[in-house]
Amino acid sequence: MSSIHVEDLSIKFLLYHDRSPSLKDYVANVFKRNARSSSSDFWALRNVSFNIEAGDRVGIVGHNGAGKSTLLKALCRVYESSEGNISVVGRIAPLLEIGAGFHPEFTGRENIYLNGSILGYSKQQLKDIEPEVIAFAELKEFIDTPVKYYSTGMYMRLAFSLATAMHPDILVLDEIFAGGDAAFMTKAKTRMYDLIDKANIMIMVSHDHQLVSSLCNRVIWMDHGRLVRDGPPEEIIPEYLGGGAHA
Amino acid sequence: MSTRVITFFSELYDSRNVLHQLVAQQLILRYRRTVLGYLWTLINPLLMMSVMAVVFSALFKADLQTFALFLFAGMIPWNFFSSVVTQSGTAFINNEGLIKKIYIPKALFPLSIASALLIDSLFSFIALFAIIIALGGTISWALLFLPVSYALLFVFAMGFGMIMSVATVFFRDLQYVMAIAMQALFFLTPILYKPDALAGRTKWLIEINPVTPFIALFRAPLIDASLPSSDAILQATMIAVITIIVGLTFFLRQEKKVVFRL
Repeated sequence: MSSIHVEDLSIKFLLYHDRSPSLKDYVANVFKRNARSSSSDFWALRNVSFNIEAGDRVGIVGHNGAGKSTLLKALCRVYESSEGNISVVGRIAPLLEIGAGFHPEFTGRENIYLNGSILGYSKQQLKDIEPEVIAFAELKEFIDTPVKYYSTGMYMRLAFSLATAMHPDILVLDEIFAGGDAAFMTKAKTRMYDLIDKANIMIMVSHDHQLVSSLCNRVIWMDHGRLVRDGPPEEIIPEYLGGGAHA
Repeated sequence: MSTRVITFFSELYDSRNVLHQLVAQQLILRYRRTVLGYLWTLINPLLMMSVMAVVFSALFKADLQTFALFLFAGMIPWNFFSSVVTQSGTAFINNEGLIKKIYIPKALFPLSIASALLIDSLFSFIALFAIIIALGGTISWALLFLPVSYALLFVFAMGFGMIMSVATVFFRDLQYVMAIAMQALFFLTPILYKPDALAGRTKWLIEINPVTPFIALFRAPLIDASLPSSDAILQATMIAVITIIVGLTFFLRQEKKVVFRL
């Protein structure tokens, strides 16, 4: 059984005002006592706590910059918490940015192995899923061509097919229902829904409220790095859309 | 701290598949679509060393053949060490896109660089070894010590590489500083000359130079057909162990900040 526990999670970023500090600035700052710091703190997440149990389908909503993606990345361990704790039980699949780790000079087939191993698939698993991935991406004749010669659609199809080839316990999605032509979109949606069905836990960020309402049984509303509301979609989404002023 | 070290290594072991892919990526990409391909890895150092052998043997009024042998045996460890140190500086910066999107153990990046360079080094070693034999080097049992030499050198270079990979993210200038520092270090390491050749005011610089014993680990089996002195082995082992401990400690303390500073 998978579960996620987030306790008092805060994540701090350093915002650089103009450029990254060089050795020169560093040395200069030693001599200038009251030098203005070249960076300031920015809390992308502040004291966020929630528990997600097996069977939960969680949608995260909020305005741009609310900390939704940061939260997902923290769950996937890209960002380390500055304060607080995250504990995750179960294999979590990073579907945040499909195609991350693709190398333009490599062929489609080589990228299946490179990207696949980064996604956490074993060599044997990759060998098993390779034919299915190629078939689903409809790239039979181009699979041994470097991906830099691919069209955007071809690239997306390969990345999507590979990322969705295995069924993770915990599925993390950041608006990835795009890419490909109409026919592929239909096919991709079916595959996506199947993946969501089989996942033990699903967490998604989306601005498509209809989608969130139809897929999720729970909604977390984020604003300025804080958790505003957490509850069933039919309750939270109207409130969020109503622009309820929250302090 | 100790549980952190254990998770660190078990995570590394679990992602050996990724390491394999990253190493292959570096080896394959470098010469893709070049006519000579991987041969460049051999040609480049061979030509460079040959030029140096001709120039410096004339300068030092030494026999070309003997000097070439002497130089080659010193250049093999040096080239590996200096490439690891300089290339590790770009380990995270060149993989920014990946690091910000997917979690993989960060040590894989410097480790993959060092591993790819080790493979390069082994290949150029084989080519150089053929030349050394042709020039009249001797084959002896002492050569069996070379895997140990390589292992110690790898650990030593890796320790430096881990520090460089993280430190360069914080100070980008470090890449350029290190390029100069490595040039200086090259002349302060007994590669072109014997360790006892530099007397007087600069002598202590050679003595405190941590690379010196590693050169001896390669030179003794290749040139003198003898095991390295126990002093050299002991020094090299101690330096390698200290460097990797310092490197690992620094890395474990700082790696989590890397993603925020890229």
